[in-house]
Amino acid sequence: MRRSRFPIAVTVLVMAFLYLPIVILVANSFNPARFSSRWEGFSLTWYARLFQSPEIWAAVKNTLIVAVSVTAVSVILGTAAAYALHRFGASRLQRVHYTLIYQPLVVPEILMGISLLMAFVAAGVPLGLFTIFLAHVTFCTSYVAMTVLGRLQDFDFSVIEAARDLGASPWQSTRKILIPMLTPGIVAGALLAFTLSVDDFVITFFVAGPGSTTLPLRIYSMIKYGAPPMINALSTLLLAVTLTAVILSRRLATRHANSVTHN
Amino acid sequence: MSSDFLEFRGISKSFGPIRAVSGVSLGIKKGEFFSLLGPSGCGKTTMLRVAAGFEDPDAGRVFLDGRDITDLPPNKRKVNTIFQSYALFPHMTVRDNIGFGLAIAKRPKAEIRAEVDRMLELIRMADQADKKPDQLSGGQKQRVAVARALINKPDVLLLDEPLAALDLKLRQRMLIELDLIHDEVGITFLYVTHDQAEAMSLSDRIAVMDGGRIEQIGAPAEIYESPRTSFVAAFIGDTNFLEGRVHDCLDRDYCRLSIAGLPEILCFNDKVLQPGQPIFLSIRPEKIHISHDRPEEKAQRNCVPGVIEDVIYLGSNTKYWVRAGGYRIQVLRQHDRYFLDEKPIRWKDPCWIWWHADDGFMLDHFRKADEGLLAVPPQSVGEPINGK
Amino acid sequence: MGSNILRRRRTEWLVTLPTLVWLSLFVVVPTLLVFVIAFRPANPYGGIGRGWTLDTIRALATPSYLLIAWRTLWISLLTTAICILLALPAGYTIARAPARWRNRLLLLVIIPFWTSFLVRVFAWKSLLHPDGPVKRALEALGLAGPETTLLYHPAAVVLVMVYTFLPFTILPIYAAAEKFDFRLVEAARDLGARPFQSFRRVFLPGIRTGLVTAVLVVFIPALGSYIIPDLVGGPSGEMLGNKIAQRVFTDRNLPHASALSAVLVLAVLAPLVAVLILQRKGKKSDIIMGEAP
Repeated sequence: MRRSRFPIAVTVLVMAFLYLPIVILVANSFNPARFSSRWEGFSLTWYARLFQSPEIWAAVKNTLIVAVSVTAVSVILGTAAAYALHRFGASRLQRVHYTLIYQPLVVPEILMGISLLMAFVAAGVPLGLFTIFLAHVTFCTSYVAMTVLGRLQDFDFSVIEAARDLGASPWQSTRKILIPMLTPGIVAGALLAFTLSVDDFVITFFVAGPGSTTLPLRIYSMIKYGAPPMINALSTLLLAVTLTAVILSRRLATRHANSVTHN
Repeated sequence: MSSDFLEFRGISKSFGPIRAVSGVSLGIKKGEFFSLLGPSGCGKTTMLRVAAGFEDPDAGRVFLDGRDITDLPPNKRKVNTIFQSYALFPHMTVRDNIGFGLAIAKRPKAEIRAEVDRMLELIRMADQADKKPDQLSGGQKQRVAVARALINKPDVLLLDEPLAALDLKLRQRMLIELDLIHDEVGITFLYVTHDQAEAMSLSDRIAVMDGGRIEQIGAPAEIYESPRTSFVAAFIGDTNFLEGRVHDCLDRDYCRLSIAGLPEILCFNDKVLQPGQPIFLSIRPEKIHISHDRPEEKAQRNCVPGVIEDVIYLGSNTKYWVRAGGYRIQVLRQHDRYFLDEKPIRWKDPCWIWWHADDGFMLDHFRKADEGLLAVPPQSVGEPINGK
Repeated sequence: MGSNILRRRRTEWLVTLPTLVWLSLFVVVPTLLVFVIAFRPANPYGGIGRGWTLDTIRALATPSYLLIAWRTLWISLLTTAICILLALPAGYTIARAPARWRNRLLLLVIIPFWTSFLVRVFAWKSLLHPDGPVKRALEALGLAGPETTLLYHPAAVVLVMVYTFLPFTILPIYAAAEKFDFRLVEAARDLGARPFQSFRRVFLPGIRTGLVTAVLVVFIPALGSYIIPDLVGGPSGEMLGNKIAQRVFTDRNLPHASALSAVLVLAVLAPLVAVLILQRKGKKSDIIMGEAP
């Protein structure tokens, strides 16, 4: 049956559309010209300027402090949540639990941002890196939970029963069997949490205080209030970092999946 | 009762609205190869999981060697399971998989190593000790699963349809291996399967289950030759079901049956029956003889005239369907002489079939639905289905 | 026997409690707070005033707010429509592609999604800049004069929103198309349907759940968009999101911001509830059909 060419054509256009801005952005980061309309040859001036800029470094430091701590906490919370959802799935408690976990995933960021701001203001908590941390953990946990939950659903629980059958206590079977087998999924979730935390703008914008500028906040103010082309370089770097994290995450996931199905 | 090594007393288990097992009691002797045989959903796997400790029965107790183990968690029972999916630990090598139980029991490393090596010899996989499960074939995985369980010297080995995932050739080979292992090791086996050939060839005794209840327990030959219910008769092997009434009972060994359209039929009697009582006669196809010529009249021989409706030639034997009375009676005839020398029995030929009264059995428990279990149920071939 | 059930219960509570508590504290309570604060007056010096009032809510009825609400709605609807129209052929193509290509294509779709959102919006901002390449290309083609601005316009907002949400739309449609049995389409063609007819009558209903997910995954975040209208929308492209941010940061009027947020919450709930009701109805009709002899 002759297949219509139309869908393929649209797909190609869509792909071009998706990558056009990124390509131009990356290209421009190497363009030493002040205004991107003229190409003046390949150069790393903007990258150099970046490294010499103290506000950028401060923002990087803040971003990393938050991202690492957020990742650690949300991995623990998210994995436990995923385990609960999978193991006890049918109960009423878990249905409520699932609805709660689902919220940060569907709610527009601005709603999360403003509601958290209201809560902090009402509770008298000063805005700063700590509030950013609290906010990030809230949505990162949900993403980690969903990632690990996906892994669990493919998980053959008879290996846990086998471990119990062979003499392992519940804790032993969790430690020696469940966690090692879940590790690729957990790591994928951790990389996801890290990426989301590094990237987050809207929620961070609402709950940040003076002196707790993260990288996205710095980028935003650079965009809004005059745009030195340093942003292109910064953005390209950010792109490279998040891309690497994601590719790593997928590699881990597919390697695990391949080893399970290889026979 | 007290000589039973593994005993289930009055086990019931429901999952939500579904009653998987209803009041089942069962006793397994030490060293026995015991099978639970039945179709999917009959409760056999649930019984196994109750024995292993993965399901808590709603009612009833489980005893092992005289001790009540019902409340013990799985890791405290001296019972090991072979799972249908083998459940090998994917992140561990074959060696670590096999030694897992001993490592948990905190046995000295040297002892574990020695025992694992011994097991590897037993399953002939010594050169694959450092492979991971994803590098093994189905048969190899199964052997590792067996070794992993046996190394702990359990009192009972539970096997959950272990051959279901294997192809035919492999299945036949593993059947023999399992048999050998059982003979060598002498442990009590509780084997769950839906495949009657497996159950019949391996077991010392079989419990046939349906709908959460036990239909019959006995040695394979007993189950095959003396089924108690229409389910057992139809689920295992093939058979013919004829409906009639008891005419009377001559002495205590034989009854005369009136079956519509057939001459008076004699049948071996092991029950207490009243004249006029409705009864079902079951006779297996291989017990019936067939010929063009009328057979010699003999005592206890049932002779029935009929017409051939269908013939299926299978090489070593032939299946005939004979119309007699209102029935299509299936006959299986082995060719023990050179077939082409005989005058063949063909479609539409009038013929005679006969069988010995001892070879049929009567069933007072008959379920119409069980006819659907036959290889070729009566309704499935061209017959108008009455009333539907 | 009973102790096993209790043990299971206790484990369940143990594992569930941390996230339950955290999310209640940081999701449920703040959301409720938003609704509560909408009933408070604004403190003239910024922040929340004392006492209770309905003035804040009444203030929502002003024409400027209604205009913004309307604009938010139609921009979100338009974005959703365009995304679906583009995602359908794309998801279809990827699902039909041979396995090797499928994974690569999916990766290509997902990669932009994983790069910094802010960065991508900024990329468009410079692309659409009066000195940017798009404008100059359009001028060269004679489609635009030196006066036309591409930025700071609702159209720019729609464009960048489509760009942002397209990957989100392609994925669920792809997932549903992958599970779809394409022999149904062949059967339809065999029975005489033209390509577009079989697409409309067989394929689309077949991926219904994927379509619904795709719509929700665009429409709801679109309603709550903030950055995109903020960076490329300008005053004529203002949406609810910007208004809320403006009230918080520029006017320091938290109750107004709360009231607007409450409206947004309700607007976001509406499609979710609608989908839930439709799903229930669908199940009921399945049961009725199933009972037919």
